[in-house]
Amino acid sequence: MRVNPNPISDLISAAGQTQQQINTDLAQIASGERINVPSDDPAGAAMLVRNASQTAEADQFLRSASGIAGEMQNADSALNSVVTILQRAISLGVEGANGTVNASDRAALATEVQGIQSQLVSLANLSYQGNFVFAGTATQTAPYVLDPNSSSGVKYVGNTGVNSVTVGDHLTIKTNMPGSQLFSSAGADVFQAVQDLITNLQSGTNIDTAVNEVSDAYDHINAQRVFYGNSINQLNSQQTFLNSETTQLASQQNSIGGADLSKVISNLETAQTARQATLEAIAQTQQTNLFNYIK
Amino acid sequence: MSSLNASLAAALSGLIAEQGALEATTNNVANVNTPGYSREVPVLVTSDPVVQDPLTFGTGVKLQSLESIRDPILESQIQQETQAQGQLNALVSALSQTQTNFTSSTSDIGTAISNFFDSVNQLSTSPADLSLRQGVLTAAGNVANAFNVAANNLNNQRSNLNASVTQTVGQINQLTSQIAKLNGQISNLENVGESAGTFIDQRTQLIDQLSSLVDVSVIPTDNTLTLTTASGTALVAGQLSFQLSTQPDASGMQHVFTQGSDITSSIASGQLGGLLDARDQQIPGILSQLDTLAAGLASAVNGVQTDGTDLNGNQGTNLFNPPPASSAGAAASLSVAITDPALIAASSDGTPGSNGNAEAMYALRNQALISGQSPSDYYSSIVFNVGNAASNANAEQSASNLALQQLDDQRASVSGVSLDEEAANMVRFQQAYSASAQVITTINSMMQTIINMKTS
Repeated sequence: MRVNPNPISDLISAAGQTQQQINTDLAQIASGERINVPSDDPAGAAMLVRNASQTAEADQFLRSASGIAGEMQNADSALNSVVTILQRAISLGVEGANGTVNASDRAALATEVQGIQSQLVSLANLSYQGNFVFAGTATQTAPYVLDPNSSSGVKYVGNTGVNSVTVGDHLTIKTNMPGSQLFSSAGADVFQAVQDLITNLQSGTNIDTAVNEVSDAYDHINAQRVFYGNSINQLNSQQTFLNSETTQLASQQNSIGGADLSKVISNLETAQTARQATLEAIAQTQQTNLFNYIK
Repeated sequence: MSSLNASLAAALSGLIAEQGALEATTNNVANVNTPGYSREVPVLVTSDPVVQDPLTFGTGVKLQSLESIRDPILESQIQQETQAQGQLNALVSALSQTQTNFTSSTSDIGTAISNFFDSVNQLSTSPADLSLRQGVLTAAGNVANAFNVAANNLNNQRSNLNASVTQTVGQINQLTSQIAKLNGQISNLENVGESAGTFIDQRTQLIDQLSSLVDVSVIPTDNTLTLTTASGTALVAGQLSFQLSTQPDASGMQHVFTQGSDITSSIASGQLGGLLDARDQQIPGILSQLDTLAAGLASAVNGVQTDGTDLNGNQGTNLFNPPPASSAGAAASLSVAITDPALIAASSDGTPGSNGNAEAMYALRNQALISGQSPSDYYSSIVFNVGNAASNANAEQSASNLALQQLDDQRASVSGVSLDEEAANMVRFQQAYSASAQVITTINSMMQTIINMKTS
């Protein structure tokens, strides 16, 4: 049987193929990626797109959660101060209710409670990064304004809006509690209670009643601020979850698209050996033919 | 009638025939590296014998022809595979350029969409914050830009392919007219009974080249051949070639015409087939998926945006300029409609601090907005489609290369020049030549004997 007398083109194309394999391997080693263009693995490339989107989402949830947690911690610590100064108001009231204190002492006590009252207004108007935290969604204006016409001395100009932010798949978290809910309830309004305490200390009548009012308000705020504590806890555990999710996504990304370097290097060595052998074969080919022997 | 003269003539015919045979070897050796050359073998036949009852005397040998050794079936297989290869080469080269638009980067469409939703989620944490609002506007601009860049690249690629179509048609015309000319030369030679092997080799080479450009069917006729496209359009008939021409359609895309009829859609293989496939099917298919995604995303975002209230307390207006109703061209033309970050309608209750509408916009991220898929999933399926088309074309190209290489091997095993074989033949012809010369010397000496006999 007659064979192809000039196989060199086959060898050259074989050398080209091994060169291509070498180039592919080198590209994988250089980038550390198995998928450098979608055709390297179309399904894998599509999975990487989804993985990248999920990773970006998880990273964003982490940023949002940490931002919200910051704001809520701020609110919570303000409420902590509110609680502390209300305790002080209660002890001042108890002191004033004692029959042994005289009018001028009560006046001094009333003055100190007035100081507490203005601290309360200031805390209720807490702003965090340009937003009034206890204003509902009317965050651009201070929610409590002094109002001489109001029996409590202040007026709430915020609203009852509540924002929720998505911080996970199907997980949204409420980020605020309106001041109207936080500082007031049907039977207990913080500002009214403190105002009543001041008035009664000054007049020396019904101080016990006013102290009870403040005490009710104190209980109300303590009950409401649990919302912030709970949310902060929830955000913390969500951050823990998101961190482990991003780790998992990163490992998934690596297993889809990462180059298996030990395998690639071994492929590269095989290809280099094959290429060398092919090149030697080309060099050897047809160095001799029958013409060399006819003298 | 046997005579010394007759023997001399027979011996001389040997000399001449062997010398001619040696010429075949010479030519073969000279063309050992000529692409498409088919080796020639001398066809030696015995001359008509002379019958002289009761004896029959041979009158020597004659070199009937130098025959080019070729396998027409193999050649037609090669032409077919060359067409497939030409088509795949064009397609692979187009698709590998196309898919660079879909490799992951910091500015690819998938990343831009992701970043946009990220910015909306960030805005949701502090909806009145102007810098976060600006962040959303910038991210929306990046989304539009990513779509614009990809669509423009694909459109430019189409224009380049379009220019290649015209060039390829020009090359086809050049080849068909050369083939027609060769047809004339070949039939002239063959009509007078001469071998046209070299011209046939050239024509085969040209048909191979033509096959890499367009789908060709070869129909051999007496002493000549007819070439048609696979759909039956005549390219060459004998000494006539039929020129293809191009005319642009309304969108500027060149259509291929012959003798007044548009044959664009019937050209399936060869480089021209690959170019047309990439230009008219593959790339428009990808573009239309991008348009669907761009239009679906923009409409959904606009829908939410107009439901909400902006920072000034007004009802929201479109964030993106509305995409065309048919969505055709949406990716190329996607643009952001507003420049004032206050106009982002994050609020659902009218107050600046409300984030209800920003949340609604964020929820689009995982909603089945486009063909039952979320924007990111739809984009990932585009990436899959592009990658898959390129990967299939690559695989087919490799297979076609292998097949063609094997066919070329087979052709070489039939038609290729073997130097070993030529060396052996040379020795054979040389020895036969020497032997004939020796016979002539012997006859000469016999004649001398007779002449000497008379004079002595």
